[in-house]
Amino acid sequence: MADQTSSSGAIAKPKSTATDNSRWAQTVDHFKREWQLYVMLAPTIIWFIVFLYKPMYGLQIAFKDYSIFRGVAASPWVGFEHFETLFSNDQFIRAVMNTIKISALNLLFGFPAPIILALMFNEILHATYKKTAQTIVYLPHFISSVIISGIVITAFSPTAGIVNTVIGWFGFDPVYFLTQPEWFRPIFVGTGIWQEAGFGSIVFLAAIAGVNPSLYESAVVDGANRWQMMWKITIPSILPTILIMLIIRIGNIMEVSWELVILLYQPATYETADVVNTWVYRQGLQSGQYDLAAAAGLFNAVVAFVLVMTANSLSRRFSRTSLW
Amino acid sequence: MAGVELEGIVKAYGALQVVHGIDLNVAEKEFVVLVGPSGCGKSTTLRMIAGLEEITDGTLTIDGRMMNRVAPKDRDVAMVFQNYALYPHLNVADNMAFGLRIRKMPKDQIKSTIADVAEILGLTEYLERRPADLSGGQRQRVAMGRAIVRHPKVFLFDEPLSNLDAKLRTQMRAEIKRLHNRLGVTSVYVTHDQVEAMTLADRIVVMNDGAIEQVGTPMELFNNPANTFVAGFLGSPPMNQMRGTLTDTGAVIGDAEIALPGQINGHAGRDVIVGIRPEHVTLLPSEQSSALPIALDLVEPLGSEALLHARHGDTAMVFKAETHGSIDHLSGVDTVHVPAGLVKLFDAETGRALSLGA
Repeated sequence: MADQTSSSGAIAKPKSTATDNSRWAQTVDHFKREWQLYVMLAPTIIWFIVFLYKPMYGLQIAFKDYSIFRGVAASPWVGFEHFETLFSNDQFIRAVMNTIKISALNLLFGFPAPIILALMFNEILHATYKKTAQTIVYLPHFISSVIISGIVITAFSPTAGIVNTVIGWFGFDPVYFLTQPEWFRPIFVGTGIWQEAGFGSIVFLAAIAGVNPSLYESAVVDGANRWQMMWKITIPSILPTILIMLIIRIGNIMEVSWELVILLYQPATYETADVVNTWVYRQGLQSGQYDLAAAAGLFNAVVAFVLVMTANSLSRRFSRTSLW
Repeated sequence: MAGVELEGIVKAYGALQVVHGIDLNVAEKEFVVLVGPSGCGKSTTLRMIAGLEEITDGTLTIDGRMMNRVAPKDRDVAMVFQNYALYPHLNVADNMAFGLRIRKMPKDQIKSTIADVAEILGLTEYLERRPADLSGGQRQRVAMGRAIVRHPKVFLFDEPLSNLDAKLRTQMRAEIKRLHNRLGVTSVYVTHDQVEAMTLADRIVVMNDGAIEQVGTPMELFNNPANTFVAGFLGSPPMNQMRGTLTDTGAVIGDAEIALPGQINGHAGRDVIVGIRPEHVTLLPSEQSSALPIALDLVEPLGSEALLHARHGDTAMVFKAETHGSIDHLSGVDTVHVPAGLVKLFDAETGRALSLGA
């Protein structure tokens, strides 16, 4: 304390130290008081470090001539060579275009599906019927993608599948749906909706449940019918949730559920079915071109990052709603 | 304009009856306030008038037309809700226009109606703002504006001021009163605040446990409460109620006797509840007053007057006294004087007001 007041020049530094000490003491106090919360938070942080941050070290192989014998550090740098290879590769360009097309279809049909479902559930007044219907549409989410794809393959089978059986009733020849490129995307998007729309509707149902009931009562007194209430109250009220979910969805736009693609596609349908992640899988794991696959994966991540940033800032600008 | 008539109105949820046969006649242009403690059925009654709750039994008539099975939109009523029920995604003008657009009013007519009502309510400069950008009082005015633009036959208010702070509540209370005087629309207003009820109402309906306890003008209810519930509900602080026994000349409370000349007429020995309004006692004796010894607990200064918290025997009481700028002279008070003509008597068993002088 004597130092702090001895001269005007000496005041600033001890003051700053005192502030730092005080902040440090506050932080220590805070940890002592709230340590249980940090213990609960720790597994998530560790998970992120181990599975998401530590692997980033390996991203550098996208810029190296990687050899598993030399290791990541010892492999020589090659700059953007792999990216040049990627963009001169027709199959990769096709995979990018397929990813964009499938994602666009998913966004167009798959994104509104849970919202529509939630709005429909909200209109069901019979409690038992509502619960039963909800359970039925939630169920596919809990079934493994392997089983889901098995069901789809069976349903579209040209010999015993239900779809071709129905087509046969009308006198048409069976269609080999899963071997024809033009049918892959509708089947894939439809399967995704069937599997996830129900479960996805939970978020929107929760948002609907949060709408102030007196808004509806006021509208009823004003003379609004159920349709008008849905359009003029429910949808605008859950719009912030819709936008948040849309931003998240846009962030995942390059992450087409590729396990389902792998389970449903075959060389005959690569033309429309092969997406970036399946191409990376084939190049990286099956052909051993880890550096090229890493470059493709990095490209995917950068595109997703740019998209999610853009969507977030657009949403913040136009609707005052954003993820961060 | 229209009157509202409730005949034997009952509301039950399954086996649980919450409103037990209410009879009430609200005259055209009248401002009636339903007041009572939480859970007394006042909001349920209002919601039945609005059509938001089904009427289990009885008849509801608005403007001479039975409304039991009529949809809310066809009852020509407008309601102001406790939490304002403003659409957060719409600005003030669109909130006010909501009901008019639903009813397909021409656009230019909507515009002029909103401009007129916004002018009345002082909302003209806020028409483009969203509810989140308004203060509590402004939101409340928008909620009223949305009701007013409809030009309904009946206004229904469901505790519209309860979310406001005390100062704003006083301002808005006066605004509502002025608006009613200006528009002259039949109004039914629900509140649990007896001050709102007293200041706003042409007539007050005091409800308790799903039934009406008393209906009358504010001063009728204040001066002649029908029972101990009404006596205890209206007035701030409420009427002091003490158990006592009648004698030939008055009522004995503990070890004191309050003289009630000419009020007893042969009911000596009857157990009663003696009601004394806090503001009716005096510190100095007056004509026909009786001394009531008290043990003073606490003096609460309110400015021009003070509340004296005291006990007489086991009974706690509150009295009001003028301060004349100081409370020093109140700290030694050990006796208050009760004027005979202002004492109320209630039956000790039923709680009903007694009129024994006749």
